Amino acid sequence: MKWLLNILKGKWLGHPLHPILVHVPMAMWPGALIFDLLSKWQIGGNAMVRLSFYAIAFGLIASLLAVPAGLVDWTGIKKEKPAWKIGLYHLALNVVVTALFAINLGLRLQDFRDASIVATAPLTLSILGTAILIASAYLGGRITYHYGISVARMSKDEWREIAQAGGANLPPE
Amino acid sequence: MNGARSRKREAPISHRSKIEKLKDFLEGKPLRHPIHPMLVHFPIGLLLLSFLIDLASLAFPSVPNLVRDSFYAMLLGLIMALVAAVPGLVDYTDIRSDHPGKRTAIAHMILNFMLVVVYGINLGVRSSSLLDPRISMGPLILSLIGVGLLSASGYLGGRLVYNQGIAVGRHKRHMPTPRDTIHLTTPIPGAEGVFVPIMAAQQLRERETLRVEISAQIMTIVKIDNQLFAFQEFCSHRFGPLSEGSFDGFNVQCPWHNSCFDVRTGKVTNGPAKVDLKIFEMEMREGKVGILLPRQTKSA
Repeated sequence: MKWLLNILKGKWLGHPLHPILVHVPMAMWPGALIFDLLSKWQIGGNAMVRLSFYAIAFGLIASLLAVPAGLVDWTGIKKEKPAWKIGLYHLALNVVVTALFAINLGLRLQDFRDASIVATAPLTLSILGTAILIASAYLGGRITYHYGISVARMSKDEWREIAQAGGANLPPE
Repeated sequence: MNGARSRKREAPISHRSKIEKLKDFLEGKPLRHPIHPMLVHFPIGLLLLSFLIDLASLAFPSVPNLVRDSFYAMLLGLIMALVAAVPGLVDYTDIRSDHPGKRTAIAHMILNFMLVVVYGINLGVRSSSLLDPRISMGPLILSLIGVGLLSASGYLGGRLVYNQGIAVGRHKRHMPTPRDTIHLTTPIPGAEGVFVPIMAAQQLRERETLRVEISAQIMTIVKIDNQLFAFQEFCSHRFGPLSEGSFDGFNVQCPWHNSCFDVRTGKVTNGPAKVDLKIFEMEMREGKVGILLPRQTKSA
């Protein structure tokens, strides 16, 4: 069990894993919206409809990996910290976004092979999903850039050495 | 900890130049989130998608439009890479010259430059054969090289944030960060300690900081309410750079995990840090401001 947690935390990489994996859905789903809009404006035709389908599918596959990695990072945050609550909102929004894009993909299964313009229902889901995704990703970014979760977690020994050489008062090891 | 202090914003400072304001904007301070790491999702994801579609075109040549799809994904990915480069360069200029992250950032930048060139060539090479059922060898190899460069560069970018703390908590601060460390040496301290004048401290603006090293002792000097204070540079929690911290009254807040300390006493005023900071006495002597270092005891 511990080996699995270490894989999901990204210890083997020296870099947390969740923020790496999220690049895929974070690019694929807004990307799918752009391709949808292009097909709507009759640019690209069926190539755009297909591209949008592939992008949503690739995003879903990557999010299956990103979710467990994110959960492991979240459970590492103490409950009384403000970042825990933000993490909870981030999690809830991500569940909604993933469900929306899963439905979205299902709606496209029928006619993505031939259609040259995206239908209204999947387009609406792309807009809605992308809007919620951006809100959720912003919260995810705040967890790193405002609350420092996972920052200096793997490099703390290197920083301790630098601080020690710089004559600082240090916490007990 | 109640976290209340960490939510308080540093009051904006009015006397700022247009360049400083533009820089703040590109660093994402109004969004309270850096911009470059937001934008890089797009080139990373889209260029990866393009490569996967290339592979799919080899496996399933009967599926129409794959080569064309890969081209569009790559084109959008490259455009977004160029857009992301602008705030990325601004982030780079903000890294202190002797910061361990500086070298990582240079490598990250060189790799990014190479991958933009490789993908530019790739788009040119494949643009003439968009109707092919499968991707040809030349552009496929270029994509493979591109994905390799992208992975290495993205990894370094992540190390910059998660291991070296670049851009973490930067939006909480309204003053520029120190560009350099000022290195000073002292003679052997006498019985009553030694006075080290620090010229640059005289020109500090309110809440501006200096990062100073005096005989291997690294400290932050800040001006608050027209008084100067000096304390250890490294946060006593995970060693974040306090010279890049933000100030609320006489408190300094670490940019990384928001520990707060009273600059007058060095005492922890908010966690996660538990250990107080080392502080240094500042004095005026013969019209020069400087630090009075205590006589060194060997045990320290």
